Amino acid sequence: MIELENLTKRYGDVDVVSDVSMQIQPGSFTVVVGQSGSGKSTLLRMVNRLVEPTAGRVLIDGRDVASLPGPTLRRGIGYAIQGHGLFPHRTVAQNIATVPTLLGWPKAKIRARVAELLEALQLDPGQFAAKYPDELSGGEQQRVGVARALAAGPNILLMDEPFGALDPIIRVKAQDDVKAIQRRFETTILLVTHDMEEAFHLGDAIAVMSGGKLQQYGSPEDLLLRPANDYVSRLIGSSDRALRALSLKTARDAAESGDTDGLFPIAPDANLRDALAELIWRGADAAAVSGEAGTPPRRLSLRRILALGRGA
Amino acid sequence: MATHQAAAAPPRQVGTGALARLDRLGLLLVALAAGGLASLPFLTFKANRIAAGAGKTLADTLGTAVAAAFLAVLALVAAVALLDRRPRVRLAAALLGVGAMALAVGFGAGWLTPPGDRFARVAPGGGAWLLLLALALLATDALARLGLSPLLRMAALAGAAAVTVLAFRSGLFDQLSVMREYASRADVFGREARQHLLLAGGSVAAAILIGAPLGALCALSPRIRGAVLPVLNVVQTIPSIALFGLLMGPLAWLGRTQPWAAELGIRGIGAAPALLALTLYALLPVAANTALGLGRVPATAVDAAAGMGMTRRQILARIEIPLALPVILAGVRVVLVQNIGLATIAALIGGGGLGTFVFQGVGQTAIDLVLLGAAPTVAMAFVAAVLLDAVVDALGRRPA
Ligand SMILES: Nc1ncnc2c1ncn2[C@@H]1O[C@H](COP(=O)(O)OP(=O)(O)O)[C@@H](O)[C@H]1O
Ligand SMILES: [Mg+2]
Repeated sequence: MIELENLTKRYGDVDVVSDVSMQIQPGSFTVVVGQSGSGKSTLLRMVNRLVEPTAGRVLIDGRDVASLPGPTLRRGIGYAIQGHGLFPHRTVAQNIATVPTLLGWPKAKIRARVAELLEALQLDPGQFAAKYPDELSGGEQQRVGVARALAAGPNILLMDEPFGALDPIIRVKAQDDVKAIQRRFETTILLVTHDMEEAFHLGDAIAVMSGGKLQQYGSPEDLLLRPANDYVSRLIGSSDRALRALSLKTARDAAESGDTDGLFPIAPDANLRDALAELIWRGADAAAVSGEAGTPPRRLSLRRILALGRGA
Repeated sequence: MATHQAAAAPPRQVGTGALARLDRLGLLLVALAAGGLASLPFLTFKANRIAAGAGKTLADTLGTAVAAAFLAVLALVAAVALLDRRPRVRLAAALLGVGAMALAVGFGAGWLTPPGDRFARVAPGGGAWLLLLALALLATDALARLGLSPLLRMAALAGAAAVTVLAFRSGLFDQLSVMREYASRADVFGREARQHLLLAGGSVAAAILIGAPLGALCALSPRIRGAVLPVLNVVQTIPSIALFGLLMGPLAWLGRTQPWAAELGIRGIGAAPALLALTLYALLPVAANTALGLGRVPATAVDAAAGMGMTRRQILARIEIPLALPVILAGVRVVLVQNIGLATIAALIGGGGLGTFVFQGVGQTAIDLVLLGAAPTVAMAFVAAVLLDAVVDALGRRPA
């Protein structure tokens, strides 16, 4: 668990982060969202002490991070940033090996770990290990950046706008990959973004920052259904709140038993927003959601989706 | 570019078309060499060191038969320069020309010198120098277009140096006046050449030791940068002789009053002020390029390095310096070439170096002696430039 206690950072006479307290659950994907200049990066960088707090403290599993030397602390925490920050004069393999090398791992172990990570991020080691960063596409660079951050198997991964440099189509894929990796390695991720869409897509918990202050911290549903103040509701946007709410629920959750003869199929993992789009596109009133392991398919109707959307 | 356009000219314009197909650079070089050989002497002959010189044409020097053969070789080189655009062929032609010319000059000098005459002086004339210039330009252009890898370039340089040394060792040029000057000063020459390298190399090494950290400070803080770089800039603009003069006073005082300084050989004249002045001249390019190179290191790379737990020192050694190195070395190259040239002036204040011969030669109006100092200086600067260019290039490219 990461605990932020009354964290404040002052530059000159401005508090760019002001008295922020929050607890981040182990294994969670927590997203800090806010406009540019709201203090998100400063908050994130106080966790690994790239920035020293003016007041307050950070505890990781109950231990004050100030009790460790900065570099030692940071070697134990993953760090990935916008524009990837890969070292241009080092190969992909050397980049990924950065922290293990700093930690003095044996060569064979490093080599095996690099290969494992490249594979986990769907990069063929034989093809990519010896390449230089400028020989990769933007999406590949971003994945190598993530692999490098995960190299020493940290429990915590800090990410500062890691998808900011990607074009929209690759971005969604990259987000899904990181989400999958997070589940696989059970990493606690603290990610910073200015993109509300991204926050809702990724976050188990979302923290909204403005003017250095924490406006609201809670689950995506909390933010949608019970925005703490005007700022949060404006940031989330009123017009597509219903659609956002739908995108948080899956077809599996909403399907009812009923007649599914002749209905087109929809995946149980699909969210209701996508299901709605599919129904509108096909001009259908209902779809069939395949059942789990042997159970019969169930019915997802347009009427049911609309009802759930109204509830939001 | 221009040559490509020329090559693509429509074949209809027969009259100008033939001319347009000629290589433009080749045309210029052939004109230069042919004009030089036609209007200027190939070698000059003086009965003794200070007698008036008499120009000798190719035919005077080599006799008609050999001169004709030499001209035939040159015509072949000219044909390649004009018509063949393949860099390999052009380079081979240029080297052939240089070889033929070396033989013509060497043997020509021997034939012009009466047997046993130790006072006669034979030197290359304007025609020979222009021919050499044209051939060198032809070779340089071909080399540039060949785009050799850094390693191959260094190998080519080593090969050329070896052949040159062998040619001089073989005695081919012993009858040339420069070599006569050399023969009477062989021991001093070695000492002054070493001193020259020491002055240039030592000052550049000192400039790196001082200038690189200074540049790093400039990269860290705009305030320091604003204070340091303008001062170094002003130092650069002081004429070298004036700078030597400016340093003589304080150093002389140091040497007189401080025993430790005297022990180190610090005096108003000699190598100390020369070394100091050369170091000062070298500071700006080294410091400025270090600041520039470090400033260009991507901020995200440094942030990532810090975020992954590198210490400040590790970031500098593993990320910043390697990424800035090509730019820093480009500054070192400029400074090394510059100081090899400037070190000549050290001789004026008793600092030694190849300038000794240059200024002795100027004093005695013995142009051959000037050449004995100047030619090796130019050669050193050339070798330094090629070597460092190759190193910078090798760092810029990567093993793929
Ligand atoms: N080292 C610093 N010195 C002075 N001001 C800073 C520094 N770092 C950040 N700031 C200021 O703090 C504010 C918050 O910055 P940041 O945390 O980077 O915001 P965000 O990541 O939300 O865009 C900005 O106004 C920024 O200009
Ligand atoms: Mg930021």
